Amino acid sequence: MVNTKTWARVKSPWVLHFNSGACNGCDIEILALLTPKYDVERFGIKLEPSPRHADVLLATGCVTHQCAERLKRVYDQMPQPKFVVAIGACACSGSVFEGNYNVVGGVDKIVPVAAYIPGCPPRPEAIIDGVIKLLSVISTPKKESPVQAHRAEPAIAEVKQNGKQ
Amino acid sequence: MLEADEKTGLTTITGLDLGTNIGVYYHVRTSKSFFTIKAEVPKENPRLKTLIDIHPGALFHELECADLMGAIFEGNELNGHFILSENWPNGIYPLRKDIDLSQVKLVPTPEHETNKSAEGREVKIIIGPQHPALLEPEKFSVTVDGETVTKVEPRIGYVHRGIEKSAESHTYLQNTYLVERVCGICNPCHAYTFVATVEKILKLEVPERARYLRVIALELNRLHSHLLVFGHAGLEIGYEAVFQYFWRDREPIMDLIELTSGNRVFGSLMTVGGIRRDINQEHIPKIKAVINDLQSKLPFYRKIYTDEPTLRLRMKDVGILSREDALKLSVVGPIARASGVDIDVRKDRPYEVYNEIPFKEIVYTDGDTWARMNVRMDELEESLNILDYALDHMPAGPIRIEAPRTVPIGEAVSTIEAPRGELLYYVRSNGTDIPERVKIRTPTLANIPSFLKTAIGESIADVPSNFVSLDPCFSCTDR
Repeated sequence: MVNTKTWARVKSPWVLHFNSGACNGCDIEILALLTPKYDVERFGIKLEPSPRHADVLLATGCVTHQCAERLKRVYDQMPQPKFVVAIGACACSGSVFEGNYNVVGGVDKIVPVAAYIPGCPPRPEAIIDGVIKLLSVISTPKKESPVQAHRAEPAIAEVKQNGKQ
Repeated sequence: MLEADEKTGLTTITGLDLGTNIGVYYHVRTSKSFFTIKAEVPKENPRLKTLIDIHPGALFHELECADLMGAIFEGNELNGHFILSENWPNGIYPLRKDIDLSQVKLVPTPEHETNKSAEGREVKIIIGPQHPALLEPEKFSVTVDGETVTKVEPRIGYVHRGIEKSAESHTYLQNTYLVERVCGICNPCHAYTFVATVEKILKLEVPERARYLRVIALELNRLHSHLLVFGHAGLEIGYEAVFQYFWRDREPIMDLIELTSGNRVFGSLMTVGGIRRDINQEHIPKIKAVINDLQSKLPFYRKIYTDEPTLRLRMKDVGILSREDALKLSVVGPIARASGVDIDVRKDRPYEVYNEIPFKEIVYTDGDTWARMNVRMDELEESLNILDYALDHMPAGPIRIEAPRTVPIGEAVSTIEAPRGELLYYVRSNGTDIPERVKIRTPTLANIPSFLKTAIGESIADVPSNFVSLDPCFSCTDR
């Protein structure tokens, strides 16, 4: 049964896209993935609008304060097991916006990230490569795959504590 | 003045921290000229009269100035926050110089909002910040009575990254790359307008070839941006075939952008004093082949957007913006031109070599979603012609001149016609290599008020097609 579930997940991952303050560069490249030239649907990847149906969260952007809470909420609404892919330099580390007054930083400050795809923006080929790598990790039968090991307590708890002080 | 010249419009309001005073600069455009009205108010009591009763288009600009700079516009008081986060502490205005923003601590607060509004029959539908129809996080609360929209409340600021403040701590060279990242779609426009403004302060004359190369970069950008919105509009109304067609044909343009700049999205071509990359002569036939190919496909595209029954049903007579409203709300770009207002910065105040290149200014008078898309369709053709002309008439010569790193004290404003409309940059320098203030006014911020007006009284099902016809870009809006 577990094998069947993993098989289904790897053969057809449903992805959800959430922009948490990106400049549109990465988001347009994600959308371009669905178009005839790149066509990720041939890998079974389907863009899904609802968090409750999604397996993979494609997060872009340097997480603004307005979006931080929403990003956490979208992540919480996704069913287990779930994986976050940080797409673009902003989602990986905050990029040029790191340290600005309205910016939290990389996506990993709010939710645990399974794969990072750097680039400003990453080329569609790079995004495909990243997602395929993630899928190969998911399909490894090991109990403690690197993705599982990477899960950490989300840093939003820290932000909250700082605020209380 | 508003009566003397009907095309007079307020482009934006810039708030400046001048030490003991707050400067409030009104950038005004008329049919022939562009000028700035400067006002100063003491910092302790920064009160001004609002303009919204005589010019409703000032609404968003006043709110933005109030939120970020702390000016108070009597009659248009800010309730809560306009662009900043709801939990941002009151009384701290990020663009003021005397504020230590590292001390500001925010507590993330959950949003409280229910779908039911107080008055029985009406229901509030919340679109966003995460929504399949929106690529970007932004919230629109649409109140409906039955299926009729009675009220639209926007909440912008979800993509506010504080770029204007960030620009005040980077050098001019770094800022060229920073402002490019305001928007991932019209990035050459941002970079170009910034360098053009700095060049105005420096009084630099850019070589002729660089001016042509800049026009080529800007027009390639317009092509890809317009093709993008044609596809996106198809997606929004549930017509996916249109989306796939247009995005398939957008890819050759992306390849051209990559060919001429080295990158698909952020080309980083613009630099103070010229342009960073020349077009290889061997590449010109390749570029021309793509242009010709697209030109041959144009009749098919045009047929889709003018005659296709499904699109006509969803777009004709939807979201009609009258000419009077377009003028009153100071809308820009294709939205204004679709309502019969002939404003195009390329014609009105030509920059670079647009005065040498023959092209038509596209004006429709219908004012509906259909007209807005068709303005863009005709502009697609004009853009192809401009590219063709520019490639043929590009002179030989240097592509840039050396520019000093430090900029003398001064200020300048530049406006250009970005794919979505008039884009404004205001730069104030203080004699160092770091600007004192960079103000960015993006076209979408000026165009959103028109949607708030046209959506009222229409069906909720028409909201997506009406909204996408603005070609909204929120990363531009919020900066």
